[in-house]
Amino acid sequence: MGWLIDLIPLSYTDAVVVIGAAILGLTSGVLGSFAVLRERSLVGDAIAHAALPGVCIAFLLTGAKDAGSLIVGAAFAGIAAAVLMVAIEHTSRIRPDAAIGVVLSCFFSLGIVLLTYIASQNDASQAGLEKYLFGQAAGLLERDLVVMAALAGASLLVVVAGFRILKVALFDSDFAASLGLPVRILDIAMTLLLVVAVVIGVRMVGAILMVAMLISPVVAARQLTHRLRTLLPLAGVLGAAIGIAGALLATGSELPTGPVVVVVGFCVALAAVLFSPGRGALWRARHVAAERRRAAFEGVLLEVETAMHAGPPPTTEELRLATGRPRAQLATTLRSLERAGLLDRDGAEHRLRLTEAGAAAAHELEQRRDLWAAWLEHGSSLDLPDAREPDPRDVRASLGDDAADRLQELATT
Amino acid sequence: MSGAAALEVRRITVSYGARPVLWDVDATFPEGSLSAIVGPNGAGKSTLLRAALGLIPVDSGQSLISGHPARAALDHVAYVPQREAVDWDFPITVGEVVAMGRYRSTGWFRRVGRADHAIAEAALDRVGMAAYGDRQIGQLSGGQRQRVFFARALAQETPLLVMDEPFAGIDARTQASLLELLGELRDEGRSIVIVHHELATVRERFDWALLLNVRAIACGPAADALAPEMLARAYGTGAEALQWAG
Repeated sequence: MGWLIDLIPLSYTDAVVVIGAAILGLTSGVLGSFAVLRERSLVGDAIAHAALPGVCIAFLLTGAKDAGSLIVGAAFAGIAAAVLMVAIEHTSRIRPDAAIGVVLSCFFSLGIVLLTYIASQNDASQAGLEKYLFGQAAGLLERDLVVMAALAGASLLVVVAGFRILKVALFDSDFAASLGLPVRILDIAMTLLLVVAVVIGVRMVGAILMVAMLISPVVAARQLTHRLRTLLPLAGVLGAAIGIAGALLATGSELPTGPVVVVVGFCVALAAVLFSPGRGALWRARHVAAERRRAAFEGVLLEVETAMHAGPPPTTEELRLATGRPRAQLATTLRSLERAGLLDRDGAEHRLRLTEAGAAAAHELEQRRDLWAAWLEHGSSLDLPDAREPDPRDVRASLGDDAADRLQELATT
Repeated sequence: MSGAAALEVRRITVSYGARPVLWDVDATFPEGSLSAIVGPNGAGKSTLLRAALGLIPVDSGQSLISGHPARAALDHVAYVPQREAVDWDFPITVGEVVAMGRYRSTGWFRRVGRADHAIAEAALDRVGMAAYGDRQIGQLSGGQRQRVFFARALAQETPLLVMDEPFAGIDARTQASLLELLGELRDEGRSIVIVHHELATVRERFDWALLLNVRAIACGPAADALAPEMLARAYGTGAEALQWAG
């Protein structure tokens, strides 16, 4: 590890923190995917909380704060919690969410009881065990890094080697079973990967907030890609970035590392959820609003046309009564029709009248709608050569002229 | 294994808790035919498929694929599970899903070679989805999703295809073209067993049927197995109405 620490242009202690945070973020990002994609995020939470009593028991047994033995303790407790959750789920009628809640609170309170007991012993060597609650990056030792790196390397190797198996089991476990994969064992293996991630991270992020490191990099990465092959490394990189940023901020300001890392992770995930192209909330909201405006635009255009056919050009008020559209929506839509040069207002009463361009647009729109109606009625007998499906707004463009002409024929005969 | 049935279950009993879902079911599905498993809700149709493939433990009985015990014959069968079981927001593309059909024959740790990619692409083309390989599966319509699952099964290149309610919630156009595809596959000599609920379609288009309601009521050529008196035994008094509505 020494060469790597020397490589980083920071003080020795900061370099150790950065490396530790990077390992933590990388593993929790990659391995956390196996919680989030299986919709088992809270299993990760319970395992993280269970690490606390594990650490305490390991300390009581060995009497020393040795990173190796504490990690073993945390791992055993995590596995015990995972087994218990599965057992409760399978043997009783208790639902998974309740099973997770029971196990999580039970292990965590046991941890608090043990922590208080150990503190009451007045033994100087126990000082710092409470760091496992909220995490502490400062004070990380080089030999801690070696343990973390070894665990991280081993678990990431498992993911890379078994990628295809894990992918099939994650996506479609029934199909995986039909290919002869042992899906039960794979389920356990994926839970064990979570235990590894927790064990690596719990010293720095703490039992309470560790779950955030399992989730937020994955949530952010999922917004940016739709391929698992990209998602796993991306979640790892984002996790590492979150870990490093959070750990440096925390050691600089003497705050507990866990909360700072988690706040950074939350910001990254929030930004991705809001701003990612295609999937982001803002993009979707804009998309939905544009679709609504378009629907209103086309709807009002046709309604004006219908009204003009039925009698004298309508006033805005008459059109509102006839169509039942909200006043504000009708007013804005009429304005945009006017701006597009499709609509005029005549005389003192401001009667609505389509311009020549407006009439042509309405005519074309009607044809498009007829084509969509023809698809709904006759689409199944069209016998297209492939699985194309039409865009309701423009059947002709999405299916091609040939298919559209045949549809028109079917509709007229 | 000429002479052996494509799929045969012998005296299979499966229970969830104390309640048997399948009771002493005997059935054979002949090679090179298009077969349906038909029965009312809760008749155990899906369970029978899963038991026949060795995916769930059985209380008693055994299942043979081309004469071999099912678990030893996984290379002979492609299974299409119900679509509801799948998370459609999963980060995976259409092409990747279909490539999964090649995994067992390529080996889990070897590269998917050019030949395998060609097979997967041909399968995708056969279901009319060649242009969709790079799409995320969540962007597809229900019918297109089912086509992808068909393609994955085709890519497995197995003599037996087993599908669980492939037409549930599917638009008429997709159902028509996939049914036609199943007919073609049968004509190529493959054996197909699907769970299906439309009696009329089964009678018209299928060669063979198993009528199931916990027990096997009838198993034979579709017209015989779905004779009115058989339907009455499977569905009870509503059978007459069902027969015409189906």
